[in-house]
Amino acid sequence: MSLQLRKQATPVLTLVTVLVGVGVVIQLWLLSTSLEAVLAGDASLPIPATIVSAVVFLANLGLLAYVLRVDRRVSR
Amino acid sequence: MSDQPKPRVHLPRWREDFPIQWEDDHYVTRRELAKFLTLGSALLVAANGAIALAGRTHGHARSYAPKKIASADALGPGEWMLFRYPTDADPCILVRTRAGALVAFSQVCTHLSCAVVYRKTDDRLYCPCHEGLFECTEGRSGAQVLEGPPERPLPRIVLDVKDGAVFATGVAT
Repeated sequence: MSLQLRKQATPVLTLVTVLVGVGVVIQLWLLSTSLEAVLAGDASLPIPATIVSAVVFLANLGLLAYVLRVDRRVSR
Repeated sequence: MSDQPKPRVHLPRWREDFPIQWEDDHYVTRRELAKFLTLGSALLVAANGAIALAGRTHGHARSYAPKKIASADALGPGEWMLFRYPTDADPCILVRTRAGALVAFSQVCTHLSCAVVYRKTDDRLYCPCHEGLFECTEGRSGAQVLEGPPERPLPRIVLDVKDGAVFATGVAT
């Protein structure tokens, strides 16, 4: 019964959501640092910050793909 | 009592997304939250990229129309005055340092935009809101941060002394 499977999958989902949330917080920090650097006239920092932010996004995307895979399995 | 197994109930997909029991509801909300956070993550990358692009066009020194702000001998050592440049929405401070140099900076603190004041005792620009302290010397592109939470220097106002008058001619960052 899929509702029972969901109960088992909820802790995994919680962990994944927390990890994605941590990634978003890191990205927020990168964004504020980039903005401060540009306003201070330093144009060299935002590019590596964008690259790191993109890497974090790809990691988040991977976690979301895992969530959707679990969801498909639970819904069967 | 019947030992017959209960028939399996297959709910439609839409019904599964609106469960009654709390534990099942947690599953749905956390799944949706993970999706929403990933969307936010994508937007943050886009915003960071936009800032990186904007940074390439953000100039270090910008020229504006010159504006007379004071006569050359209006201020003695340790004295200061306020003016607005390049627009009326940009408060600035002109200072004659104790050493006699004439310098001008934006009066808007780079932390949270409070108005900085000149502190004659130590020849510094001081922000009373959060105890920020900036140096007040000539030579650099801005008033460097000495203490407190500000992270960026105060933009310097480029001055030109001509015919006994002080003109503001640009903003350096």
